[in-house]
Amino acid sequence: METKLPSTWEKALDSIRTWARVNSPWVIHFNSGSCNGCDIEILATLTPRYDLERFGVKLQGSPRHADVLICTGPVTRNARDRLVRIYNQMPDPKFVVVVGSCGLSGGVFHGSYNVMGGVDEVIPVDAYVPGCPPRPEAIIHGVVALLDSLKKKP
Amino acid sequence: MNNIFPLIALLIFPGGLFLMASGLVYEWVDRKLIARYQNRVGPRWFQPLADVVKLLAKEEIIPTGVSRGLFVALPVIGMAGALTAALYVPIAGFAPSFSFAGDLVVTLYLLSMMTLCLGLAGANTTDRFSLIGATRTLTQLFSYEAPFLLALLGPAIVAGTWNIAEINNFAGQNIWLVVTQLMGFLVALVGLLGKLEMPPFDAPEAETEIVSGALTEYSGRGLALFRLGKDVELVVGLTLVASFYLGGIANPLEFLLKTLGLLIVMAGMQSLFARLRIDQTVGLWWRIGALLALVQLLVLIVVRVLR
Ligand code: SF4
Repeated sequence: METKLPSTWEKALDSIRTWARVNSPWVIHFNSGSCNGCDIEILATLTPRYDLERFGVKLQGSPRHADVLICTGPVTRNARDRLVRIYNQMPDPKFVVVVGSCGLSGGVFHGSYNVMGGVDEVIPVDAYVPGCPPRPEAIIHGVVALLDSLKKKP
Repeated sequence: MNNIFPLIALLIFPGGLFLMASGLVYEWVDRKLIARYQNRVGPRWFQPLADVVKLLAKEEIIPTGVSRGLFVALPVIGMAGALTAALYVPIAGFAPSFSFAGDLVVTLYLLSMMTLCLGLAGANTTDRFSLIGATRTLTQLFSYEAPFLLALLGPAIVAGTWNIAEINNFAGQNIWLVVTQLMGFLVALVGLLGKLEMPPFDAPEAETEIVSGALTEYSGRGLALFRLGKDVELVVGLTLVASFYLGGIANPLEFLLKTLGLLIVMAGMQSLFARLRIDQTVGLWWRIGALLALVQLLVLIVVRVLR
């Protein structure tokens, strides 16, 4: 049974929800076959030097707690099932950020017999951060761009 | 008119809304202090609020293999326990809304309800991380609970009453009990850290080993309620320790100064010490904590008998 609220109320509630979502992105980090270069950069991003807690970013261990899946590497055929499972375990609304050239297109592994070639072959992706590996600043920029795009949605 | 005031006490002040708001503020202070100790900028002031609202707006997944009723009810029960406990302590320096002889024991039990719910919530799911987390949560409960209780008994024995409001008054009229009962104070403060599963006692939710312990399977609403309940418990626990050991709480200003002072010390301890293994936690509490609290009690009783 759905109760219908007046549209002004709907709008106000929506803006509160968006505000909370934009200001508290909890991330989970998954390596689907990268060379580990990108993962080291992601960890560097989360260190006190860049201090992402000032934007509300928090690294979570459990997919159930996370909003943003940060994914690296070309998806190997082995990691494919795990990636899909982790994606399905996250509660809605959820977003995916791909970090590194490998995740974009397969990168140096492009065309290999054992990779799917890019994360978007497997799960829907919301933001791409190119680079091999991207700098922490670039990763932050990618996440901020994703959050900005959330704000603009009606 | 007569039934309006209890309703206000339950829903707005000091229960309900006020308590949740102050819980969120205290969580922010705690996180900010730790960030500053680590030379970071730290979260913005509305961070805990944004976290909770976001979690409430998210989908709640009920995993297969759990008892649905328990899964949904446990966060509510835990939160209700923490909120009810607040009615018996002098929040913000005002007299407790409800009080009777012996409410100290009831308050302590209500505060433990949160931990019990956490343990049950973990044991309810079929996930191995939650199960280990639940075992650790309950093990930790058995280790800190007795020393914590003994530490709060000290002031009760000196004041000769089990009523929180009367102990608070007694503490306000006499020399600060932290001077005469230093050991009890230390045990109570560290016990609070254990109760809230803060570092160095965060083995039950050690994210590097067991993802996030008993709460691994919780998402959305359940997680938000558990977080909120913990924040409320932080405020209640701080108020309790401050009113017993730091010379009572008589007005809002004292409340703010004393609880925030305690929080600064607690945040310092959190960033100073590394996480203890669960067996080290138990060992610490039963070898040192319980012993200190017992010695304290013995001295108190002997002094009382001699006088
Ligand atoms: S983009 Fe470069 S650093 Fe990142 S996983 Fe691929 S090869 Fe490694």
